[in-house]
Amino acid sequence: MKEKNKYAFLTSTQMILVYVIIAFSLVVGFRQPAFFSPATIITICRTGIFTMCFALCEMVVILSGGIDVSFPAIGCVAMYVPMYIVNRVYKIDSAFFAFAVAIIIGLLFGLLNGFLVSVLELPPLIATLATSSVASGGVVTLLGTREFTNLPSSLQAIYNTNLITYTAPDSGFTYPLNVLILVPVVAALLVSWVLRKTMLGRGLYAIGGDKNAARVAGFNVRKLQFIAYVFSGVFTGIAAMIYNILMHSATTSALMGDEMITIAACVIGGVRITGGHGTVLGTFLGVLLITLVQNNLNMLGIPTSWQRFVVGIVILLGTILTSWQAKRSMNAGRA
Amino acid sequence: MNNTTKTSKQRDDHIVVLFGMMIFVLVLMAILKGKTYFTMANLRSMIFQFPEYGVLSFGMMACMIAGGIDLSLVGIMNLSGVTAALMIKAGLPIPLAILAALAVGTACGAFNGFIIGSLDIPAMLVTLCGLEVYSGLVLAITGGPAVNNMTDAFKNIANGFVGPVPGVLFIFIAVALLVAFVMKYTIFGHNIYFLGSNKKAARYSGIDTLKTIVMTHAFSGLLGAISGVIITSHLNSAKSSNGSTYTLLSLLIVVLGGVNPDGGKGKVIGVTLSIVLLQLIANAFTIMRAPDTLKTFTNGCLLVVALILDVVLEKRALKRASRTIPS
Amino acid sequence: MTNDIFLKLKGIQKSFGGVHALKGVDLEIRKGEIHCLAGENGCGKSTLIKAISGVHEIDGGEIEIEGEKVEKMRPIDAINRGIQVIYQDFAVFPNLTVAENIALNGEVKNKARLVDWKEVHRTAEEAMNQVGAKLDPDIQLERLPVAGKQMVAICRAIINDAKLLILDEPTTALNEKEVENLWKVVRSLKEKGIAIMIVNHKLDEIYEIADRLTILRNGSFVSTGLISEYDTARFTKDMTGHDVTSAKYAPEESGEEIFRVEGLSLSGRFTDVSFSMNRGDILGITGLLGSGRGEIGEALFGITPVESGRIYLNGKEIQIKSVNDAIKNQIGYVPEDRLTQGLFMQRSILDNVVVSSIRKYFHGVKLDDNQMEEAADHWIKELSIATPSAKPAVRNLSGGNAQKVVISKWLNTDPRLFILNGPTVGVDIGAKSEIHQILRGLAQKGIGIIIISDDLPELLTNCNKIIIMRDGRIGEVTDNTIERIEL
Repeated sequence: MKEKNKYAFLTSTQMILVYVIIAFSLVVGFRQPAFFSPATIITICRTGIFTMCFALCEMVVILSGGIDVSFPAIGCVAMYVPMYIVNRVYKIDSAFFAFAVAIIIGLLFGLLNGFLVSVLELPPLIATLATSSVASGGVVTLLGTREFTNLPSSLQAIYNTNLITYTAPDSGFTYPLNVLILVPVVAALLVSWVLRKTMLGRGLYAIGGDKNAARVAGFNVRKLQFIAYVFSGVFTGIAAMIYNILMHSATTSALMGDEMITIAACVIGGVRITGGHGTVLGTFLGVLLITLVQNNLNMLGIPTSWQRFVVGIVILLGTILTSWQAKRSMNAGRA
Repeated sequence: MNNTTKTSKQRDDHIVVLFGMMIFVLVLMAILKGKTYFTMANLRSMIFQFPEYGVLSFGMMACMIAGGIDLSLVGIMNLSGVTAALMIKAGLPIPLAILAALAVGTACGAFNGFIIGSLDIPAMLVTLCGLEVYSGLVLAITGGPAVNNMTDAFKNIANGFVGPVPGVLFIFIAVALLVAFVMKYTIFGHNIYFLGSNKKAARYSGIDTLKTIVMTHAFSGLLGAISGVIITSHLNSAKSSNGSTYTLLSLLIVVLGGVNPDGGKGKVIGVTLSIVLLQLIANAFTIMRAPDTLKTFTNGCLLVVALILDVVLEKRALKRASRTIPS
Repeated sequence: MTNDIFLKLKGIQKSFGGVHALKGVDLEIRKGEIHCLAGENGCGKSTLIKAISGVHEIDGGEIEIEGEKVEKMRPIDAINRGIQVIYQDFAVFPNLTVAENIALNGEVKNKARLVDWKEVHRTAEEAMNQVGAKLDPDIQLERLPVAGKQMVAICRAIINDAKLLILDEPTTALNEKEVENLWKVVRSLKEKGIAIMIVNHKLDEIYEIADRLTILRNGSFVSTGLISEYDTARFTKDMTGHDVTSAKYAPEESGEEIFRVEGLSLSGRFTDVSFSMNRGDILGITGLLGSGRGEIGEALFGITPVESGRIYLNGKEIQIKSVNDAIKNQIGYVPEDRLTQGLFMQRSILDNVVVSSIRKYFHGVKLDDNQMEEAADHWIKELSIATPSAKPAVRNLSGGNAQKVVISKWLNTDPRLFILNGPTVGVDIGAKSEIHQILRGLAQKGIGIIIISDDLPELLTNCNKIIIMRDGRIGEVTDNTIERIEL
C-alpha cells in the first residue's frame, strides 16, 4: 500500500511538472550558464506576477465548474478607468483611490458574471465572453483609447519600493524585485488556506464535482458560484492595478489575449477543466513552467518569431499530459 | 409529398425572432438615416464585409452542433491566408495557391479533431491551444510583418464585381448552400447532429465517433481556410492578427442563430439570418458614425439576449410538445 | 407494540397533473427490521420514497413517525427525523475523498465555517467502524468502484443519525461479492436498531435479506406481511396481478442452427464462452453483475470486442472487431441504459429510427427524406408506438414507447441477430408484454434473439434456452421448464 502511494505521488501531475521544470532549467543552463544566477529568479518573479494573479482567479472559477475568459477585459477596464480619472478628470493622487476604483470595477463585472452564470444559468464560456465584450466595448466607447504612462506619485512610490535589489557582479546590471511580488504570494497562501481549510473552499470543490450532490448536501450552489466569479473579478482588479504600476502603462487592450496563457497554466498545473480538481501548488507550478518557457526561449536560441508557436506546442503537450493523467485516475475506479 | 404543410406546422420560433429583429433594424434605420442607409453603395459595402466572417461562422456552427467548439478558427484562417499569399508571391498560379490554402486549413482542423477525439480532451482546450499553435506558425513563417501586395487577379476574388454585384457574395451563397446541403442531406451531416445530441448513443448506434469528430473539425478548418482566402484577398494582406475579433463574432452569430451551445441543435438558415442581421447592425453603427467599440459592446449584450431567448423558446417548445403527446 | 413502529403511512395519495401515481398506500416500518418494498416498474415505488423523504408533497393521507403525526414533510424535516435515502446515483462527490464525502454533509448542517480535518477523519473512521466498511479515507471517490461509493453513501447516512435507511435498488450495479458484503452491512445496521427499507423486485434477494415485504401495484397497496407468508406464486401474483400461467415460449424445434460462438474470451470479463442457437430460439443470458452477462452482449456488438474465440452467424464465420463490423454483419444491440446509450432524447423519433440504417437512404448525392419518413411511420404502426407522428422528440415518450423506438432502430437494419440487454427495464407492465410479443414474433421469423436480463421471470417465460453466467464462465445451461433459477 505504501509502495503504491509512493508511486502514485512520483507520477502525479505535480511531480511530472517538477521534473519538466528541472529538465528545462538544466537544458537552458547547459546552453547558457548565466541562467543559474539570482537574476534569473528575479526576472521570473517579475514576469510571473500577473500570470500568477490571473491564474489564481481562473483556478477558483474553473474549480467551481465554470470558466472565466472575461478577466483580461475586466482587468483593462479596472486599470484604465482610475488612470483616466486621475489624468483627465480630477487629479487624485492616492494609491488607495486607484486600488479602490479597480476593485469596485472588478466587483461589478464579477457580479455580472455571477448573475449570468448562476442565476440565468448560461454556459460560462459564452457568458463571460459576453461580459468581456460588454466591458471592453463599453469603456472604450465612453472613454476612448489612450495610453496613460505617467503614474501619480503615490503609485510611483510603490513602484520604487523594492524588496531586494540584486546587482550582477560582472555586468553591473541591477535586478530589483518589487514589493508587489508579495501580493500573489500572500494571495496564493490565502486562497490555498481557504480552499483547504474552510467550508467555503470545500463548497467550491463540491459544486465543481457534482452540482446536484452539492445541492442535496445543503450547499448554496448559486451563492458559491457567485463567490467564485466575484473573487475572480475583484482580484483581477487588484492584479490589473499592479500591472499598471509595474509596467507604467494603462491601456484598454494591454491584457487582451492573456486568457489563453492563464487557462493553459491552470490546466497544465492539474486543474481539471471540467471542475472540482486542482490545487494552488499545481497552478503555481503551471505558471512557473510557462513563465520559464516564455522567458528563456531566447536563451535556447529560438528566434523571436518562432516563440509563440513553441509556447503553443508546450501548452498543447501539457494539456494532453494532464488529460491523460485525469483519465488514468478515473479509470482506476472502474477496474 | 405534403412537405409544405409539415414545415409550416413546425414553426421555428427562432427564425421568426431573427426576422423580427432584422425588420426592426431596417425600420429604425429608415427613420433615422433612410437616405444614406438604403443606397446601392451602402448595400455593396455591406456585401463586401460579411462573407469572410460568415463563412467562418459556418465552421463554428458545425463544431458546436457536434457538441464542441472551434476557438482556433481565426488561427486556421490566417495560416491558410498566409499560405495562399506566400505561394502567390512566389509566382505560383492562383488556383494552386487556393488549393494549398484549403488543404492547410483542412489539415489543421483534422489535427484538432484527432487530438479531441482520440484523447477525449474537451474541444475548448484543444482548439484554444490550436489557436496559439497556428497563429504562432503564421508568425514563424512570416517572421512578424504582414505579407502584402499580391497580384491583382488574387485581389479581385474578394474585391471584384460580377455585373453590379460584388463577386464575393456568390462565394458566400455557394458556401452556405454547400453547408446546408451537407448538414441536411448527407450521412456526415446527420452524424454531426447525432454526435452532438448524445455521443455515447452515437457510438452504440454504430457511428464512428472519432471519424466524425475529425471530419467535423476538418470541415470547420476547410471553411476557416475559405474565409482565410477571402480576407487575405480583401485586405490584400496576410498576417497573424487579421480578424482577431472574429472568434467572438462567430460565437455570437451561431448562438444568435439558434445553435445550442451544448450541441445537437442548429440550422444553417438560422445562422445565415444571424450573419445578415449582425451585418445590418454593424453597418447601421457605421452610418450613425458610432465607434466600432460600441458595436463590440452591443454584440456582448446581444449574445446574452440570444442565450436567454434560447432558454425561453426552448421552454415554450417543450410545453407545446407535452401538450400534443399523451404521456 | 406501537412503540416498535418507526414509520406509519396511511392512505398516501399523490398525483401529477391528473395522473394518480399513488392511490392510497399504507406502509408500516418497524424499528430494527429489514423491509422490502417491491413492485413492477411504474408501480409508484420511487414516488413513495420521495413522499417519505419529503421531496414530493403528498396530496392526501397521513405520515406518522414514531407515533407522531407529521403535518408537512419537507426534505429537511425528513433528515432531522432520521430518514436517509440512498438513491441509485448516491449523490456523492467524485472529486473529494472518502472521509470528506462522509463528513461533509454534517459540517454543512452544523453551519461550520472552517474544516477541522482531524474531526473529519475521526467522523469518517467512526462511521466506517459502525458500518464495517474498510476504505482508505484519503482516496478520491472517483477511484472507487460503485460498491465503494455506495458504502460511502451508507456511512454518510449513518453518521447523520439515520433511524430509517432507504436503499433504492441497491444491488443493480453490484457483483456477487459486493452484494454479499452489502447484506452483511445491512444486517449489522439492523442489529443496531436501525430500520431499513430496501426497494427491490428480485425475489431471491428479497428472500435472502428481508424480514417483511410490502407489494405495490399501479400506485396501490396490494399486500404486506412476513417474508415467510410469501411463496413464489403469491409473490408473482401480487406483483403482476395475474397468475404465473402466462404462456411460456416454446418454439417448434427447427434444428437449423443460426448462431454459434466457440471459446469466446475477454480478459477480466469472461472466459471460454460457447453456445449455439437454432432458428426460432430465444436465448436468455443471466447472472449477477460482473458475472459477464452484459459483457458478452457488448463484446458481440463490438463495443469491447473479444480477444479470442470464433463467431459463426448463419453458418459463416464472422469477425467482430468494432461496432461497425457488428452492424455490417446485421447484428443489433439494445443497450442496458436506454437514456444515455440507446437514444438521442432531443431528436425526433424519425432520427432515432434511422440512425443506424441511414446508409440505406443515401441515393446518388443525397439522403431521401421521404423514404426515411416512411420507414419511421412504418415502425410506429408496426410496434404501435403512441405518438401522433414521427416528428416529436423522443424525450416526450414514456419508457415503454421509447424502448420501442430503440427496437425500431435495429429492426430497420434488418438484423439477423438481435441482442437486447435489459429490454424491459423501466417499462410498464403493458408495454413489457407487448415488447415480449414483438420479440417472439421476430424469433419466429428466423431472427436470432438474445435477451440479457436479471429479471428471471422474464427469461423463464420468454426464452426457451437460458445460460447462467457465474464468474465469467458459463455456469449452467437450462431450458425454461424449471421453476426457479439459482444465480
